[in-house]
Amino acid sequence: MKSHSAWSGSKNPVKFRMPTGENLVPIRLDIEIDGQRFRDAFTWNPSDPDSEVVVFAKRTARDLKLPPAFVTQIAQSIQSQLGDFRSYEGQDMYTGEKIVPIKVDLRVNNTLIKDQFFWDLNNFESDPEEFARTFCKDLGIDDPEVGPAIAFAIREQLYEIAIQNVSSARESRISKKGRRGFEHSLPSKAGGTGLDLMKLYGFRSSVVRKRKEWDVYEPIVDKLSNEEVSALEAKEERNAQ
Amino acid sequence: MENSQDPNFKELYTIPSHSRWFSWDDIHEVERYSLKEFFDASSITRTPKIYKEYRDFIISKYREDPNRRLTFSEVRKALVGDVSLIHKVFVFLESWNLINFNAVEREDDDDYVGGEDKWNVRVEEGAPYGVKVVANPNSLKPVLPPPVSVSGGGNGGIVSPLASFKDRYGELVKKKLVCGNCKGNCDLGCYEYIKDRNYVICLECFKSENYGENKSAGDFKFIDCTLSNGNLESAWSEAETLLLLDSVLKYGDDWEVVAQHVQTKTKLDCISKLIQLPFGELMFGAGNSKPRLWDTSDSVSSVKQVNLDSSESPEISKTVKAPISDVSNENEQDENAEDVATPQKRLCTVRVSDASNSLMKQVSGLSMMVGPHITSSASEAAVAALCYENLCPREIFEVNDDGSHKSGLSQNERQRASPAKDSDMEGRYESDIQDTSSTNAIPVALRMRAATATALGAAAARAKLLADQEDRVLEHQVATIVEMQVKKLQRKMRSIEDLELIMENEHVRKQELADSLLSKRVNVLKKIFSAGISRWGDCAPVTTHAPAVP
Repeated sequence: MKSHSAWSGSKNPVKFRMPTGENLVPIRLDIEIDGQRFRDAFTWNPSDPDSEVVVFAKRTARDLKLPPAFVTQIAQSIQSQLGDFRSYEGQDMYTGEKIVPIKVDLRVNNTLIKDQFFWDLNNFESDPEEFARTFCKDLGIDDPEVGPAIAFAIREQLYEIAIQNVSSARESRISKKGRRGFEHSLPSKAGGTGLDLMKLYGFRSSVVRKRKEWDVYEPIVDKLSNEEVSALEAKEERNAQ
Repeated sequence: MENSQDPNFKELYTIPSHSRWFSWDDIHEVERYSLKEFFDASSITRTPKIYKEYRDFIISKYREDPNRRLTFSEVRKALVGDVSLIHKVFVFLESWNLINFNAVEREDDDDYVGGEDKWNVRVEEGAPYGVKVVANPNSLKPVLPPPVSVSGGGNGGIVSPLASFKDRYGELVKKKLVCGNCKGNCDLGCYEYIKDRNYVICLECFKSENYGENKSAGDFKFIDCTLSNGNLESAWSEAETLLLLDSVLKYGDDWEVVAQHVQTKTKLDCISKLIQLPFGELMFGAGNSKPRLWDTSDSVSSVKQVNLDSSESPEISKTVKAPISDVSNENEQDENAEDVATPQKRLCTVRVSDASNSLMKQVSGLSMMVGPHITSSASEAAVAALCYENLCPREIFEVNDDGSHKSGLSQNERQRASPAKDSDMEGRYESDIQDTSSTNAIPVALRMRAATATALGAAAARAKLLADQEDRVLEHQVATIVEMQVKKLQRKMRSIEDLELIMENEHVRKQELADSLLSKRVNVLKKIFSAGISRWGDCAPVTTHAPAVP
């Protein structure tokens, strides 16, 4: 019927997957051994064989000259996160009409990025990487690490929301068995992350924002000097502990 | 800004022609097809109204400053909705050049370096370090890049992309060549050192063998400065050209005098410039050859007159042709041919240029093909023809003609007497000049203007003729169209009449049918009566009889 469209419009449940063109899992690593800290964030393709995980861990440790103790930790972390992802995979998720706000607030080396925008969960062809590319090109960011960081941040949030949808589907099924007449509209506002679509897209309103709201949704890119970077890092360390 | 004050001010924005389907009030098929998501009613967040709002906003935003490239990130902050969707709309508009059409171009995404760095481009000439260019993949002989020869003039030769203004135009700049040895001017000629083109020595130095350090005779190449200098003086201003024409008309072939008159140009320059002018050749004959042909024999001139009278139409090309062929014919027969010589015989086969060309082109083409004497006589003839109609030019030209008549006659007498010798020519020349200059009552400029006016008038008349013809053709076409329409209408009338006839027939048949039905009905009723079955309306008379029956 709508095979050409990337969007699924109906309220029928869809098998769980990342609501992006490529079904990639966001993996975050934060390992500390003997005072040495290793942090990383990247996307992983869940259809890769598991053997790849160990290979990847070994290569990472070798490239970054980390002690061998890291290898097992890295591999474990990756595998557990993959496992989480896979546990959701068999289940249904209701996406409904869901436009969710995505917030990006990160620091990559010397660049500080703050942004806010909407994302359609129903768009199963969406491409966070493409968005990140356009972002960097339009704003003239030359640090090549920024793009992937933004894409990762988007994926992470989408992942979270997708999980919530799955959980809500489970909830509603359980409650349906217990009670009759359970409202189906609940999934569309599960977790309160969805937007009030009627307010935004209704007849009287316009999709063009008022000027005073433009600042809110405008991307802010700041280039920090080295001192500011180290100051921020120190603050983060303190907050973490 | 005047924009805001003038309510009727309309901005013009360019979009390529393949995007002309775009309209503010409408959504076109192209849009519906490319952005199906909005039009399949699949979601409340994607409707045509929303699409139109996105599109209008993006295009308006771009048009606020058409020279600046609009980026997606600028518009998305102002639009509510899924950013991927808005991006899709943006990309669609950009690919149809409805936005960012005039904007500064940017490199491809793949090559994007970022920031100001990409504008700092380093151009390297030749192969980079460590790379040797060889002729074949296996040979070791290096191939040098072709020597960049910077040529004089704008576009000739190979010019390296980093050539400066001085390189390109340096040779056009009048530079006085200074001898490398004695530091004197090298005006007439110089010897250029082959290995270093900038080093020249003058003729004297070369003769006296002062070549400079470590150089020998064989290393020098002779360059004639007059020639090369001559090429530099290629810019003729209008004033100079006018002066030149003036002086040529006055002094004819005497180039020394002409050059003196046109103070800023040399003899050679004058000649070359004159040749370049479209009617330059005319000028050659203006001073002296006019009289020769004009009155050689009465028969010739009368023939000319006759021809001219008959073709008073502005077909000057034809008049030009007629005298030419006539004159050439005459000259073949006439043994006393003037020294308007052999080229004439070839002219019998003058080709008439394509009649569709403009008049002036034909005239100029012909004048270039034939000799200058012919052209001048032809123009004379044409002017004479038109003189017969208008008084004014006659006044201008006739005075001169009389004068030249006289000198012409005297000239030709001398010619017939003895074959032209150079000395004679010279003598004739002098007297000729004096004659014509004395009889030049009317200034040269006025004559020229009169001649131009005549030519232009002729061209205008021809144009009018053509216009009239166009009108006639148009009328004819319109008449044909009207006729066709009338025929069409007549056919329609006929077919309608036929239809009417058919309808009539139908009607008659239907009537007959109705009648037959009626009669059938009547019969049936009769039978009913005869069978004794009463109709409910007729009950009364029957029942009165009934009791009578026992």
